[in-house]
Amino acid sequence: MSTLTKVLIVLLTVFSIFLCGIVVTYVASANNYKKDADDARRSNQISKSREADALQQLEDKKKQAEDEKAKLNEQILALDTQTKNLQGELDMVKREKDQLVQKVASMAAAVETTTAAARQQTTLFETAQQEVQNLRAEQTNRKKELDETNQILLEKLALIAQLETRVRQLTEQYQEAESRLNQYLQQYGRVAMRPATTVAPAGTTVQPMALAPTGQTRMISLNGQVTAVDMGSKLAEISIGAAAGVRPQMKFHVIRGEIVVADVLIFETSPDKAVGSVVLIQQGMEPRAGDRVATNL
Amino acid sequence: MSPMPQARGAKIAPPSNLYTVILAVAVGVVLATAAYVTFACYSRYATIFGLP
Repeated sequence: MSTLTKVLIVLLTVFSIFLCGIVVTYVASANNYKKDADDARRSNQISKSREADALQQLEDKKKQAEDEKAKLNEQILALDTQTKNLQGELDMVKREKDQLVQKVASMAAAVETTTAAARQQTTLFETAQQEVQNLRAEQTNRKKELDETNQILLEKLALIAQLETRVRQLTEQYQEAESRLNQYLQQYGRVAMRPATTVAPAGTTVQPMALAPTGQTRMISLNGQVTAVDMGSKLAEISIGAAAGVRPQMKFHVIRGEIVVADVLIFETSPDKAVGSVVLIQQGMEPRAGDRVATNL
Repeated sequence: MSPMPQARGAKIAPPSNLYTVILAVAVGVVLATAAYVTFACYSRYATIFGLP
């Protein structure tokens, strides 16, 4: 074997080993393109299916959005109508509120007037109550005086009875003396003159009159006229008073022509006039001076 | 091993198998490489030649 052959053998072997190493390294490190292609194809199919699903979902969403848009438009129209109605109701409520505010103001004024009238009536009531207490005290004094007078009267009556008994005894003695005188004078044909006696017959006694309380009083129709009216405090004054029999808590009818205008409830009386509160009956008609008042219609 | 005839009278040298072994190693390496490439191609693409 020549040297050249040996060299060629060695070189062939070395190059073969080198080339085989390169091939093995390349093959071992090469990518699996089939697997990559399969993965890419699979991912492509998945992407296509997802695209189809996304398109379908998009169509569905579009339909839902259109439906919701239509519903929202209907709701907007309904809400617009409701808003207009509520605006109308709000205007109405505002008008009612204004009216109520005016009513409250008028009622407040009426309450103030009524309060003033009540205060005035309270003052009058206190005054009347004081007068009643004074009258009761005076009545008590008069009653005591009456009892004392009755006691004195009884004593006087007892004294009168004793005096009558004494007068009767003296009369009897006088009659006996007269009888004797007549018997004596008959002898001479004369008769004594009989004097007039002032003694009451026997058995007649004077009794004090019992002061029984008066029972029921008969309702008498009282008539008069309205002399003054104050509708601010709803008070009226009439032309008759306690002297005519007017008492507190009596009710008079205010009559104008044939119409009963109002009632007057008396709460204070004086001898020639009386004052009471006005209770309206006829709307729009108020009592005035000159109207007739009467307890009975 | 040597194809050339020995000249008569020349010194007869025993044949050396060193280069035969080297050649055998080279052939084995090439065959192993071919077998590996074939296995790799078949296992990856299910075919040895052509396109899958």
